[in-house]
Amino acid sequence: MNDPTFKKIQDAVLVPLLAILSGLVLMGILILFLKKPVFESYYVLFTKGFGCEAYGNCVFISTLERATPIILTGLSAVVAFRSGLFSIGQEGQYLFGAAAAAWLGYAIHLPPIIHPIVLMLAAMLIGAAYAWIPGILKVKIGVNVLLATIMLNSIAMLVVEYLVQFPMRAEKSTTAHSPVIDESAWLVSFLPGSKWGVGFVIAVIAVVAVTIYLWRTKYGYEQRMAGQSGRFALYGGIRSDRSAIRAMLISGALAGLAGGIEVMGVHHRIMTGFSTGLGFDGLTAAILGGVHPVGVFIVAILFSGLKLGAQLGLQLKLGIPRELGGTIIGFIILFVAAGSLFQSGITRVRALLDKRQARRVNGEGD
Amino acid sequence: MEGFFSVFTVELLQSSIRLATPILLAALGGALCNQAGVLNLALEAKMLLGAFVGIVAAFYLGNSYLGLLVAMAAGATLGLLFAFLYHKYKVDLVILAIAFNLIIAELTVFVMRAMLGNVGSWSDPSIQRIPNITLPLIEKIPVIGPLLSGYNIIVYFSWLATVVMFIVLYKMRRGRHLRAVGEAKGAAETVGINAVLLQTVALVIAGALCGLGGAFLSIGHLKLFTRNMTAGRGWVAIAAAMFGMNHPFGVFLASMFFGFADAFAVRVQAVTDLPPNLVKLLPYLATLIVLTAIALRTKLALSMARRRFRAQLRTEEATMPAEKPA
Amino acid sequence: MTLAVEMKGMTKFFPSTGVLANDHVDFSVEQGEVHALVGENGAGKTTLMNILYGLIKADSGEVLIDGHPTHIGHPDDAIRHGIGMVHQHFKLVPSFTVAENILLGMEPNRLGFLNQTSENKQVEELAQSYNLPVDPAARIRDLPVGMQQRVEILKVLERKAKILVLDEPTAVLTPQEVNELIMVIRGLSAQGYTIIFITHKLVEVMMVADRVSVMRGGKMVGTKKVSETSIPELASMMVGREVLLKVDKKPIQRGEVVLEVRDISVADVNGLAAVSHMSFQVHQGEIVAVAGVSGNGQTELVEVISGMNTLDGGEILFKGIPVHETSVGERREMGLAHIPEDRMVVGLNLQTTLDENLIVSRYNHPEFTRYGFLLMKNIDALARQVVNAFSISAARPGEGISMLSGGNLQKVVVGRELSGNPSFIIANQPTRGLDVGSIEFVHKTLIEERNKGASVLLVSVELEEALALADRILVIYRGKIQGELDAATATDEQLGILMAGGTLDDLQPHPEVQP
Repeated sequence: MNDPTFKKIQDAVLVPLLAILSGLVLMGILILFLKKPVFESYYVLFTKGFGCEAYGNCVFISTLERATPIILTGLSAVVAFRSGLFSIGQEGQYLFGAAAAAWLGYAIHLPPIIHPIVLMLAAMLIGAAYAWIPGILKVKIGVNVLLATIMLNSIAMLVVEYLVQFPMRAEKSTTAHSPVIDESAWLVSFLPGSKWGVGFVIAVIAVVAVTIYLWRTKYGYEQRMAGQSGRFALYGGIRSDRSAIRAMLISGALAGLAGGIEVMGVHHRIMTGFSTGLGFDGLTAAILGGVHPVGVFIVAILFSGLKLGAQLGLQLKLGIPRELGGTIIGFIILFVAAGSLFQSGITRVRALLDKRQARRVNGEGD
Repeated sequence: MEGFFSVFTVELLQSSIRLATPILLAALGGALCNQAGVLNLALEAKMLLGAFVGIVAAFYLGNSYLGLLVAMAAGATLGLLFAFLYHKYKVDLVILAIAFNLIIAELTVFVMRAMLGNVGSWSDPSIQRIPNITLPLIEKIPVIGPLLSGYNIIVYFSWLATVVMFIVLYKMRRGRHLRAVGEAKGAAETVGINAVLLQTVALVIAGALCGLGGAFLSIGHLKLFTRNMTAGRGWVAIAAAMFGMNHPFGVFLASMFFGFADAFAVRVQAVTDLPPNLVKLLPYLATLIVLTAIALRTKLALSMARRRFRAQLRTEEATMPAEKPA
Repeated sequence: MTLAVEMKGMTKFFPSTGVLANDHVDFSVEQGEVHALVGENGAGKTTLMNILYGLIKADSGEVLIDGHPTHIGHPDDAIRHGIGMVHQHFKLVPSFTVAENILLGMEPNRLGFLNQTSENKQVEELAQSYNLPVDPAARIRDLPVGMQQRVEILKVLERKAKILVLDEPTAVLTPQEVNELIMVIRGLSAQGYTIIFITHKLVEVMMVADRVSVMRGGKMVGTKKVSETSIPELASMMVGREVLLKVDKKPIQRGEVVLEVRDISVADVNGLAAVSHMSFQVHQGEIVAVAGVSGNGQTELVEVISGMNTLDGGEILFKGIPVHETSVGERREMGLAHIPEDRMVVGLNLQTTLDENLIVSRYNHPEFTRYGFLLMKNIDALARQVVNAFSISAARPGEGISMLSGGNLQKVVVGRELSGNPSFIIANQPTRGLDVGSIEFVHKTLIEERNKGASVLLVSVELEEALALADRILVIYRGKIQGELDAATATDEQLGILMAGGTLDDLQPHPEVQP
């Protein structure tokens, strides 16, 4: 059992790892071009993204908080992909979830604990509903999910922007935003002065829940089989249509939840420009995380840390534009996607190691 | 209600055409790639690169027109890179596009901040905006005269590009080959057509067109570059290409539709209290409907053979006396 | 008479599938003759022709065209040497017109500009000269399949082909269109063209070919003049194999009717009848074999019985209950098991573990699921049980199965399908591609099931297998049951004739053939 599982993990992790390392090397090269100190940059990047300074003043906490919506939208992508549907609609579902939470946050008044729970359920519901649309179009008519979700994202952005600017607009505000939601709806944060709180816990729970769903429930089993081999699923008696819709509903709910938590835990309202591409970030995390919940978790934290480190460290301390962070992340995606670039190198190194081990087993020399 | 109708003016239509231009250019590029069988979702990246490189080149070379050419070259290079990664390493097109979009969006701002000063947007008074051209005779034509005259050269180029693309795709040999590659790659390759080459050419041309579209925004319009300047126009172009069914004239009309929606939204906002966003929404909704209609048509065509068979069986049964085989 | 084509010692091994597609094959075609290349699916005939056309490179061997050793590395070389190929799956652009397709890649043009009128005229003249009328302006997607094929033929003729290779030309044609094609082939042959056509339809071979070469399992079995052979002889050359050990069969104790198929009709993807007004029954405790050359409707028949495809006409009853509107899952619940033709794509999901493969038909049972959660311990127990019971040595519960041999993969499929004690088993080509040991295992298992009282519907192209296992043999031809034989008394000759579309009344060496 030891060797094959180790090899499986090795295969899954090796290419992303090499991609990240290559990305960091590239970052070093770009910093050299700017005539800035390279090693100090790396140091600053990591301490400002993942480190702790004075006692209780951990930037890492902010990284975790920033990672929360990415984890959830990443999970959303994972569920969709693993059913065979290439849905990139997380952005739209996220926005609608946020809008729902923002509205119900001030429109209805409920006692604490109940209020946020209701809001989260509403966000999940609306996200699921919005994801149902491309799902049913695909299953019943055969509409391309990728193209449909691109359109639906744009529609969602416009609709939510409208909602913020008109019906939900708080009185007398120059930049449009909705009224602040009732305090009873706010998500508790664990440390004063930080937004890190219940939201992150929910994200962690979601990671566990999605993992269990995919590999330990019959519904997850159904959708994975349908996604991997449609003919096999049909032959075995799996209703692929139903499992595809189910997957989209769950995917939408997760993305909607991300939006809801962002409103309830961080901004406490929704405003113009709320959409910062977190849906796409989740997508990226899913791809780089090997379409696996745990991978998403790790990658989301890594990315948030890189971005934060670039912003607080590289920019503030060394005057290196923080966009370097985002650029490198883009290159890492490229390196992972062009994985075959590394593949030949990996196979050669493996062959070398195998030869050495074989020699050792057969006795030195000969 | 008078306020509502005051919205429809010649200025509105002129605005529509101007706003449609970058979309048209990018959409033509996207449509060309679609016709060649390569889904190109990186239009946003190519536009943004063109916007940035164009204005920087215009500044350093002291000539805005040269800036346009450099923008086109930059877009074309990105297209070449895209083609190379796709064909050599078989990178998934969607992931490739996401990566490019992200890299260019961040990298342009990074370079701007690193080299031109740590600013949010960059401009320079020495940069000349591409001037508008009045066409002497045409502007005198009643009614449509003002609609056809008075735009800058990029706009006219986009119209020309539409016509040229139509001619090339449907009246010329290489264009037909490209369409064959997109529709039936096996058929094309069997007769010796080089699919990889044609797809690469499509991606390069699309890059150049997108680059020009982006430069229109920076040099031709706002005279500056700022973060995420293209504001999603690349994605609008993707929709316009789909809506126009990848046909140059269809893409032209679709782009005008999107441009009109944009212009109308701005106008409505200025003159009335009606929400502009809902108007901007219509083209996307229309595209979604088109997608659905196309899928529906395909589905019905596939099942038609089967339904005909069943109908035939039923008529056989009706005309034959019921004789069960032993 | 010089040989138009001579291929000597062609060998081709595909490492990705581990198949030796061509094993030192010698093949020669005389100038101006119509030569049929026949064999079952997987016999290697398409590979051989793909080598000739430059689509594949052989591992070893020599090709001579008109007596000259030739190197063909690319279809362009083949075309230059006058070889044209019409593929089984047409290489046409659906939205283009006939003329646009025929002239694709060689359009006459002035500085790159096309001239549709002169293209149409050119194609019109081409069609006239070969007496193959077509409408140059018609769009391919609007044309019937027979006409599309004509366009493909004109395409190769336009490129000055002298040697035409047709790959399964009649596979998608109506009987009427088949006759038309035969006239075309005869016409071209009379004009001096050399025609090679790949097929497994023996009736057509007898109708139009001068000589026929038979391949089997990658080897060339033999070449005969059509006038000196017969359908039964060709049939047995195609499918015959080393005699298998006869399996021990208890005398049949037939029970009630388990499966009844009543006047069923199924269309194929082109809307043509794949199964046409077919009726038969299978009883408890018997093995019924559906024997026939593949491509006669077996695939569609199995699909509608298993529920993977819908019926277009007629009824299917399982234990007296109409099931033709029920789902695959529901039929499996009723006791139906299915060993599919394609174990790697349909019968198994090679991307996942042994356990997940084993529960696909039963994951809903309370034994394996409670409140929606999978009971991993029970699933693991099932995996161990199957591995032991069927001695699948290389498989381990919890691990993947992609590395298993064909025989072991089939054991996984069989193990899964039989471990639920099914009352009806569809076995579709269950021993295809297996080694002798695995074949024996499958046969033994099916007989055991039958002895236990289950019913087996065996679909097979191997006559020996059908004879050894079945109690009754139904021969299928063009979607109909051509005849029924008692396995104990059936002769190879009877089977051969039925498989070729004749009737049992035609028990002569050269059956009368309708033009």
